[in-house]
Amino acid sequence: MDIQEYFSLVFTDYTLRTITLGTAILGAVTGMLGSFAVLRKQSLLGDAISHAALPGIAISFLITGAKDSNTLLLGALVSGLIGTFWIRGIITKTHLKSDTALGLILSLFFGFGMLLLTFIQKQPNANQAGLDKYLFGQAATLVESDVWMMAIVTGICLFVLLLFWKEFKILLFDKEYAKTLGFNTKAIDILITSFIVLAIVLGLQTVGVVLMSAMLLAPAAAARQWTNSLATMVFLAAIFGAFSGVFGTAISASQNNLSTGPVIVLVAAVFVLFSFIFSPSRGLLFKQIRFIKNRRDLELHKTLAFMYHIAESHDNISHPHEIKILNGFQGYTKGTLKKLVEKNYVTLKGSTWSLTHEGFKSALNLYNQLTKNDE
Amino acid sequence: MSNAQLEIQLIASLVAIACAIPGTFLVLRKMAMISDAISHSILPGIVVGFFITQDLNSPLLILLAALTGVITVVLVEYIQKTGLVKEDTAIGLVFPVLFSIGVIMIAKNANDVHLDIDAVLLGELAFAPFDRLLISGIDVGPKSLWVIGVILLITIVLLLAFFKELKLSTFDKGLAASLGFSPVILHYGLMTVSSITTVGSFDAVGAILVVALMIAPAATAYLLTTDLKKMLVLSIIFGVVSAISGYWFAHWLDASISGSITTMLGLLFLIVYLFAPSKGVIAVLYREKQQRIEVSLLTFLLHLKNHDEDNERHVNHLNEHINWQKVRSKTVLDLALRNNMIVIDNKIVSLTPKGDMFTTQAIDYIITNEDTQIEDMKNDFFLFRG
Repeated sequence: MDIQEYFSLVFTDYTLRTITLGTAILGAVTGMLGSFAVLRKQSLLGDAISHAALPGIAISFLITGAKDSNTLLLGALVSGLIGTFWIRGIITKTHLKSDTALGLILSLFFGFGMLLLTFIQKQPNANQAGLDKYLFGQAATLVESDVWMMAIVTGICLFVLLLFWKEFKILLFDKEYAKTLGFNTKAIDILITSFIVLAIVLGLQTVGVVLMSAMLLAPAAAARQWTNSLATMVFLAAIFGAFSGVFGTAISASQNNLSTGPVIVLVAAVFVLFSFIFSPSRGLLFKQIRFIKNRRDLELHKTLAFMYHIAESHDNISHPHEIKILNGFQGYTKGTLKKLVEKNYVTLKGSTWSLTHEGFKSALNLYNQLTKNDE
Repeated sequence: MSNAQLEIQLIASLVAIACAIPGTFLVLRKMAMISDAISHSILPGIVVGFFITQDLNSPLLILLAALTGVITVVLVEYIQKTGLVKEDTAIGLVFPVLFSIGVIMIAKNANDVHLDIDAVLLGELAFAPFDRLLISGIDVGPKSLWVIGVILLITIVLLLAFFKELKLSTFDKGLAASLGFSPVILHYGLMTVSSITTVGSFDAVGAILVVALMIAPAATAYLLTTDLKKMLVLSIIFGVVSAISGYWFAHWLDASISGSITTMLGLLFLIVYLFAPSKGVIAVLYREKQQRIEVSLLTFLLHLKNHDEDNERHVNHLNEHINWQKVRSKTVLDLALRNNMIVIDNKIVSLTPKGDMFTTQAIDYIITNEDTQIEDMKNDFFLFRG
């Protein structure tokens, strides 16, 4: 199946439609909530939470003995939340730093989860197969009820987000101010963190424990490059996330042996790379172009200043001088000279140059008018 | 205990030691999450190395994979330097991408490669004794034992040779740089050692659980001591204890050895986290409560000092005046009485000369912004703490 075939089938084929819709919704909701994680400098929290969710899945399987994805995800949610609050506990109550706390909870919970999973695998229960899909995720196992579940959770997220928009925003950018205004910052904090946990847990089945953090970060990191407004960023991140989901599913469906999770992550990474390079205001490309342009302007100024100092010592400022004397001077190239001529600061005659009145005047004011922007 | 069991425990212990040494420095340098990133992103290196060598224990594979680890660090630092995203986001972006590339490479070549992701991520220590190293036909022991043994030896030699430099650059980067120890070389040296250790340990304990062996013993030790040497020794002890007890736990439960080693590490951390003498949660909570009561006491004494009127100092009025709950005011009152700070005469509370002196000194310290001095002063005045 190639990509075109995929897009023609996506509306008719049940499996493809379900998976595509599922990954798109997942991408949107993680992108949305990921924006908050990224801005709150909690990027790695997602990684820790998704790993910390593993024992919850195993324990809820051990208790219920059933593989109903909703109960398993409920277990994941509980253990993810326990992990999150333990991380907070470690950071606030001991002198261990946040990176240590994250790494600790991540690896310890994950190890414990693996212990339980291998323990379950040895059990004489035929039902246990397939729990390890939560490690790397299997989008192919999504069914319509899962997608409905995701859609409902996304709806709730959106509703809460809009309801507490002001509170979230103020907490994000100025926690102290929010406190002085009388907002219960702790409650808002817990609310937003819980929703981040919820979004992560939702994605475990599709993308898996290991790669879930990228789903949270990548769309948000890409969106951040295009805007400075929170609302736009959340919106863009949701779009990027949804598109990563759809394209990732399309690519993995059109090839053999390609699991969806990693492909979605790579597509999201392409979005990030593109944004890093081509974003007009923050992107590396335009930054470099601006940098080169600024350097050229400086060189132009240098040449002009050098000419000015020569012309100064003559009664007639437009007295012609040999071009040769400019040689060896750093700012001087044929290009800068040409630019100066274009700007009508300098006139050339044979192998000589002379400063015009205009050029003399602007050179005189070169270092006085810092705000001048006609260069 | 059979020979194989002994070998497994030996390998696990060596891995624990080899991880604990760089782990201690990673925790102290606030780079614990870098080890997580490295452990994920060595996957493509391992896969490429495996395509070339067809042997998970070959030195070339270890070097290639370790190189991927160092590349991860370089990439993270490059992204950070562009200022487009924060450091943690940079880490969180780089390793899933590299990991995804590794997963896809394995999946695409699943037919010709005897390598599966579970093995790389989780390892299987139980099979380690069966892969023997034969030198001219003589069995000299399991391959992974030699691999991790050599890595451990190198780590220890490097640690002994550069202990002073590492210590200095960990605690005072500026001073280390000004004394001429290149922070860059030390930083990348540490990163290289961590990468090599991670790669060397992955087929024993799995790439992700290496993170646990690096961070958990060091973090646990850090709660117990602030001396670098003691911390190193303690984290090695914690690592080895968890490795051996974890092995027997797994043996009893018939489950993954690496998972159970991690669980042991988790239990150890939990115990220390709760009960560590001065930095454990219980100790911290107790101290916080003590300080809250003592601050209340000080407030109470200041109130008494500021008011001469009888009605302000009447026991019944205190409750409503300072606005405390009954239990709390009783605790404070008791504490003050026991420390001979106040006397209650006919239901009127007044300061004793000692209480007066204490309050005066406390005010002095508060006014001069030397609040910390109050702690020392409490030792001089208090017979009983809050």
